[in-house]
Amino acid sequence: MSLFSRMIVVLTSVGILSGGFLASVGLLTKKRIALNKQREIENAIFLVVPGTHSIQKLYEEKDLVLYGGIEEEGKILGYAIQASVVGFQDKITFMFGTNITITKINSLTIIEQKETPGLGAKITSHEFFLQYWKNKNCSGSLSLKRPAVSSADELSASEVNTITGATISSEAVLNSVNKSIEKLKTLKEGRKLNIKGENAS
Amino acid sequence: MPVKTVGEEFTKGLWKENPIFRQLLGLCPTLAVTNAVINGIAMGLATTFVLVLSSIVVSSIKKVIPPQVRIASYIVIIATFVTIADRFLAAFFPPISKNLGPYVPLIVVNCIILGRQEAFSSKNTVGRSLVDAFGMSSGFIIALLVLSTIREILGAGTFLGYQVLGSWFEPWIIMILPPGAFIALGILLGLANKIEQLSKSRS
Repeated sequence: MSLFSRMIVVLTSVGILSGGFLASVGLLTKKRIALNKQREIENAIFLVVPGTHSIQKLYEEKDLVLYGGIEEEGKILGYAIQASVVGFQDKITFMFGTNITITKINSLTIIEQKETPGLGAKITSHEFFLQYWKNKNCSGSLSLKRPAVSSADELSASEVNTITGATISSEAVLNSVNKSIEKLKTLKEGRKLNIKGENAS
Repeated sequence: MPVKTVGEEFTKGLWKENPIFRQLLGLCPTLAVTNAVINGIAMGLATTFVLVLSSIVVSSIKKVIPPQVRIASYIVIIATFVTIADRFLAAFFPPISKNLGPYVPLIVVNCIILGRQEAFSSKNTVGRSLVDAFGMSSGFIIALLVLSTIREILGAGTFLGYQVLGSWFEPWIIMILPPGAFIALGILLGLANKIEQLSKSRS
């Protein structure tokens, strides 16, 4: 066999073998990876809308997904809002839950972020950020407390603490929350949410 | 060159030819993922998996591959194992996969792996390549462990996520940021050179 054809044969067979191998690995892990992603979202919803028994997707657009947390008897308990926003370095994806009248934020949790470790990454920390999102009044828009205070008692009902040294990350999340709530309210008033039973009446 | 014993083939990766401290190979993942010990361990194990399996494959088919296309073939083989490692981590260890982010796929271009294929596996038997791969990976894991331990303790006051320094300690955030990686690695390289010098002057 000439060198030229040997080169082609070797490279082709290496390629085919590895391609076949990868295809089977892909098939084997695909389901699990999808399941992991789904479970992560479900856990976040259970966390931000306590008492949720089942989940219903109500609305979806780029960087915003709305879910309804349904209790055992089929009544909707509250909304879980998954939103993405550009933070300091990359996209921050988070989830927060409100009550059914959209006047109170239950809590907020971060799903994915790539902020600076030690600074912006503190948005995932309960102590520095998440605890200040518990039970906030969201009838109007929320605002950031600057400079940061050291205890939740020093914040008003519609104020959220800033992370010292990571104002951009804190602000990105806050602005996105305000925008999402606004959107949720418009959708709800316009009866654009795909809620089972409710819209039919 | 005298033939090395199997033991020597293994231990050379630990110190004399340590990929990080002596050969300065694979520095990109080393600097990037050592901000926490758990990430360092995960990266070390993923690299071990890829290096060992690629070495086995490359050393067993070395005679079939024409030298003109060897690099391309090695890269395809390495990329295959890297993708398997990446999918495996995403399926079974999603939090680690998230932390390591793009650095798992980037093992493809980690110079340690291609370097060992080119310098060793393509010229030696399967058995020797296997020992060499394990030795080099152990050296890599040790280096990652040392570096990530220093960085996590100084930068976050924790080791493997457990608080080891008391609340009096104000974490040096710079240590878990990229500059901290360069500072720590620079000091360690200086130390490694000093130790090497001392042991040479003594013998």
